[in-house]
Amino acid sequence: MFDFLVNWLANVPTFALPYALAALGLIITEKAGVLSLGAEGFLLIGAMSGIGVLLGVGDYPLLALTVAALAAAALSLVYALLVVTLRVNQVIGGLALVFLAQGMTGVIATRAGWTSRPVDGLHTVPLGSLADIPVLGPILFQHDPLVFATVPLVALVAYVLDRTMFGLRLRAVGDGPDAADAAGIRVALTRYGAIALGSALVGLAGGYLSVGVAKIWVEGMSGGRGWIAVALVIFARWQPWRALGGALLFGGIEALIPRIAAIGVALPQYLVLMTPYLATLAVMIWICLRQDGRSLEPRALGVAHLREERR
Amino acid sequence: MPLLSTAPQRPGPRLPGRGRITVEIRQHVPRWYQGVVLACGLVVGMGLATAILVASGVGLSDLLQEFVIVMVTSRGSLTAVLVQAGPLAIVGLAAAVAFRVRFWNIGIEGQMILGAIAATAIAIHDVGPAPVRLGLMMLAAALAGMAWVLIPAVLKIRIGLNEVISTLLLNYVAFNGLLQLLYGPWQDPVSSFPNSKQYDLAERLGSLGWGDLTWALPLAGLLTLLCWWLLNVSRFGFLSRVAEANPRLGEGQGLPMTRVMLAAALLSGALAGLAGFSICAGVEYRLTQSFFNGYGFSGILIAFLARNNPLATFVTAVLVGVLYVAGQSLQVFYGIPSAMVQLIQAVIVIGVAASDFFLRHRVRWVPGRRPDV
Repeated sequence: MFDFLVNWLANVPTFALPYALAALGLIITEKAGVLSLGAEGFLLIGAMSGIGVLLGVGDYPLLALTVAALAAAALSLVYALLVVTLRVNQVIGGLALVFLAQGMTGVIATRAGWTSRPVDGLHTVPLGSLADIPVLGPILFQHDPLVFATVPLVALVAYVLDRTMFGLRLRAVGDGPDAADAAGIRVALTRYGAIALGSALVGLAGGYLSVGVAKIWVEGMSGGRGWIAVALVIFARWQPWRALGGALLFGGIEALIPRIAAIGVALPQYLVLMTPYLATLAVMIWICLRQDGRSLEPRALGVAHLREERR
Repeated sequence: MPLLSTAPQRPGPRLPGRGRITVEIRQHVPRWYQGVVLACGLVVGMGLATAILVASGVGLSDLLQEFVIVMVTSRGSLTAVLVQAGPLAIVGLAAAVAFRVRFWNIGIEGQMILGAIAATAIAIHDVGPAPVRLGLMMLAAALAGMAWVLIPAVLKIRIGLNEVISTLLLNYVAFNGLLQLLYGPWQDPVSSFPNSKQYDLAERLGSLGWGDLTWALPLAGLLTLLCWWLLNVSRFGFLSRVAEANPRLGEGQGLPMTRVMLAAALLSGALAGLAGFSICAGVEYRLTQSFFNGYGFSGILIAFLARNNPLATFVTAVLVGVLYVAGQSLQVFYGIPSAMVQLIQAVIVIGVAASDFFLRHRVRWVPGRRPDV
């Protein structure tokens, strides 16, 4: 039982990290008032480009993660063009983007022959004797560099959003774009920036899924994690630290599945695989029942801004 | 300069030296203009799709051959398109009915799975006498689809849970349920493949005697007419228009807006369930683990292009059927990945969605004045 707990806890960060990064990215985008249903698509683009770098350029996992983030940011400009400049309904735009990314990654990866080819990927950071500490070692010190970078990243995003001029402008655009416009903030530009920056983080999460966890590309490998991240942001009430907590919760649930299988408990496999989605649904219901979840929602979330329409 | 006098002027001490672009909301959009803009969006989308296909190594003449000439000259291709069009038209209706009342049913694939599971349960357990079994399967499929959409619909109405995410999450739940059945109790005893055993003859939609065409197509046609009557003629259609335009106004007038939304959501789920049934009983004759793949998205695309109009849905479904069939031959003869069909659909949706901007807005160039005037 004790070994089971240690094994499980040691695996939680790996499973929680994609949720944490994706939710962090979505918070940036949504704080600027742009609904981001495209997360699933950005995860896929990031995951595929990461593997593409490893197979096409060479075994440079950090370069692969960078390219994953950049690729998602580049694709997010299409989304920004649609919903910010052309004022397309953000639900339609987000869904269209997911489908675009699904099609694109399928076509590109198949043509390039990247599908189902294992890669070396990301390694754990050698921390010497720290990693050998009996219980704490595996849980805290046997991880890859991105796990160690995540907490500082959450702190950075929380600081920038809450305490800097840039964060203030971004939140102003998300809460009251008309007033922000009148105050001289460039609403469209800020939203483009928030979308690109946020989507880059989601792309990084996707890159981590393929480069750091699975070490292989399979079509549709994000498996709905993007949608779970969208729900997670609501659960976290658009606050970075709470998003990290939520990510650990969902990562913890997901990390249980292979652990339970590993100790030889025979559970109906596919019914167990439903749990992350059912847990997400349960959490969403809980938030709605508490009634206070929505109060911290950016007030102009999902509303396109047009100066000429200002009242 | 007549433009200057009508364009809205922003007050300020300095006039801009350069001109600028202004965007106005159009109050009234004439029908012909809607058509022109939709056509432009389609042309842009299809142009981009063509460019992508040409870039992946398919010549323009090959595209003309696969997408147009084959469709009108070869009977086999034409029937293949119509075989695809049946289920596509039904999922298109499922999306259109829900979107009409602004219920974003993204869970069509999950409802298709539930419908197909219910129909297959009737089929493999031989429920009821053979002559009425098809009817029982249809009924079960519709009810199961309804039940699956009832969860997010009630959650939306009762506690305000956003249906986009809940319907989507339930897709994954339904899919894992399907796998649990197909890798477990329903696995084919003959081949041990993860699909159900073949349906008996009494459990299949009959052939129309023209290629592989079955009664799935007339079923789709019938449902199209039914939905057209519901949305355009009946009282429900009127109420759904109010729900689409301004539900709060309807509520204020004492109209049963909540019930209209629930009814539309349930109808959407029932249609999606029937679509699942029509693929299993009319095309594949068994329950497989991927029969629903891509139909959810195609349904959304069809409803979007058809502007939630049931009759236009059917026509659009036939055109998407052309894309499916041409996509298959591009895959076989030119090595184009199957994901290309989805990519093309996404590009066309984006083209049309972007063109909507020009439908709802008027873009003007307001020339600037020289500072010394």
